Amino acid sequence: MFTQMILSSIPDDFIGGITHIFENNYELYLEGIKYTLIISLLGTSLGLLLSLLITIFRIQEIEKRDSLFTRFLKRLSIFVSSSYVEFFRGTPMMVQAAIFYYGLATLGFRIPILIAGILIVTLNTAAYLTEVLRSGINGIDKGQIEGAKSIGLPKSKMYRYIIFPQVLKNMFPAIGNELVVNIKDTAVLSVIGVSELFYMGKSVAGTYYRYTESFVLVALIYLILVLMTTRLLTLFVRLLNGNDKYSFPSSQSVPVEVNHG
Amino acid sequence: MDNNIITITDLSKSFDGTLVLKDINLNIRKGSVTTIIGPSGSGKSTLLRCINQLEEVSSGGVFFQDTNITESNVNLSKIRSKIAMVFQSFNLFNNLSVLENCTIGPIKVLNLSKEQSNERAQQFLEKVGMLPFINRKVTTLSGGQKQRVAIARALCMDPEVILFDEPTSSLDPEMVQEVLDVMRNVISEDISFIVVTHEMDFAFDVSDRVIFMDNGEIVEDGEPSYIFHNSKNQRLNKFINRV
Ligand SMILES: Nc1ncnc2c1ncn2[C@@H]1O[C@H](COP(=O)(O)OP(=O)(O)OP(=O)(O)O)[C@@H](O)[C@H]1O
Ligand SMILES: [Mg+2]
Repeated sequence: MFTQMILSSIPDDFIGGITHIFENNYELYLEGIKYTLIISLLGTSLGLLLSLLITIFRIQEIEKRDSLFTRFLKRLSIFVSSSYVEFFRGTPMMVQAAIFYYGLATLGFRIPILIAGILIVTLNTAAYLTEVLRSGINGIDKGQIEGAKSIGLPKSKMYRYIIFPQVLKNMFPAIGNELVVNIKDTAVLSVIGVSELFYMGKSVAGTYYRYTESFVLVALIYLILVLMTTRLLTLFVRLLNGNDKYSFPSSQSVPVEVNHG
Repeated sequence: MDNNIITITDLSKSFDGTLVLKDINLNIRKGSVTTIIGPSGSGKSTLLRCINQLEEVSSGGVFFQDTNITESNVNLSKIRSKIAMVFQSFNLFNNLSVLENCTIGPIKVLNLSKEQSNERAQQFLEKVGMLPFINRKVTTLSGGQKQRVAIARALCMDPEVILFDEPTSSLDPEMVQEVLDVMRNVISEDISFIVVTHEMDFAFDVSDRVIFMDNGEIVEDGEPSYIFHNSKNQRLNKFINRV
């Protein structure tokens, strides 16, 4: 009876259908946008921080003067960090989310779905950005490292004050790119019931039995979010650098080296 | 090891099985100026880089005062802060300003206050004629200017030794002189200088001692007048006549 009323009130044509769906459900979509943005922004930022930490383990180098114990610790940290990266880069995020969430539940840990979503995106982003950071570090002129060594800067301070600042600046496009990817990829978190944008779209579609209209609407919203984000990032970088050399592809690709000498 | 700031004993170094330094023995007197000359590939840079352990030795010892710095228990960071280096390719920190390049060592390695470090940096930047550029990004400087900042950065560490590896070799000809002049200007009794260079006039003028290397060995070693005028060594004379 109630369902009948909902279905009869919606116009039959495509545009009319979309407009009707949006007008009657915009609160749901706003809610979805909110979660999508929270998860992707937090996931990207926390992932970046985590990737800095993992990178420190990843780039250990065994030196001749190291003791046996130091060598063992370095080997271990290289092994653990590269296994981490390979696992998260080698499996779909949707599967990770399912394993993580249901796995923890089976073990008796109940964590809020939103937290689970943020964690999954964070862990994924960290794995991806660790690779980006590592190649960024490899791309830094060896002279920077020798300059730092020559004045006696210990490794930790060399990374903190010389290497990471340069790499982070160079990899800003890759970080922005990862944010854009995350905005879109949070959609897979609907598998564990995170009420982000795609999840909302699905439930609205189910209400009207008008799948095409609902998902086209969701696609439009994603597109607007992504376009706004890339514009903001480009603007931000321009303010930072006073030039327009950067651009943000909205697909996951190898970051272009942008080096200002 | 009384008057010697650096002592090298039976040092050998090989890269992938190729011996590039062969059983080097060398003492560097405190406060002296030593230049190292020799053909390309003779091992000059490698020897210099062993002195601050940018290269690990294959065998032998490198002593800074009484400390064998090739041993694994030494605090390399502390040793390196006393053995500064000026590179052919400058190696200034690209993310920092001229001033910051000079203060990061004093602040982060020597643990001086920011005020003290700034004061010291300004003093040495003035000495190398770079005070007007204090807030510039180093990437915007000319080669000669970069090298002058690199010299100031080294001086700011208040080091016992400064190693120079061909400091003018990557400069445009018109900038070579300004850097050599700055180097003459900063030479003092308080610091020992070890300079790898192809500038023979400069080596003749400033050196207490000149070392000629060829093929991974020290072939001749003596005062500038001996090396440039009196030595009968054929390899040395062939080298000097060529440059
Ligand atoms: N990192 C390295 N790996 C392998 N071989 C090296 C390395 N560094 C130097 N060598 C080799 O060691 C030898 C000595 O090199 P070194 O750079 O010390 O010579 P140099 O006297 O400084 O020459 P130049 O005047 O051209 O600077 C050369 O044969 C060089 O090819
Ligand atoms: Mg050399």
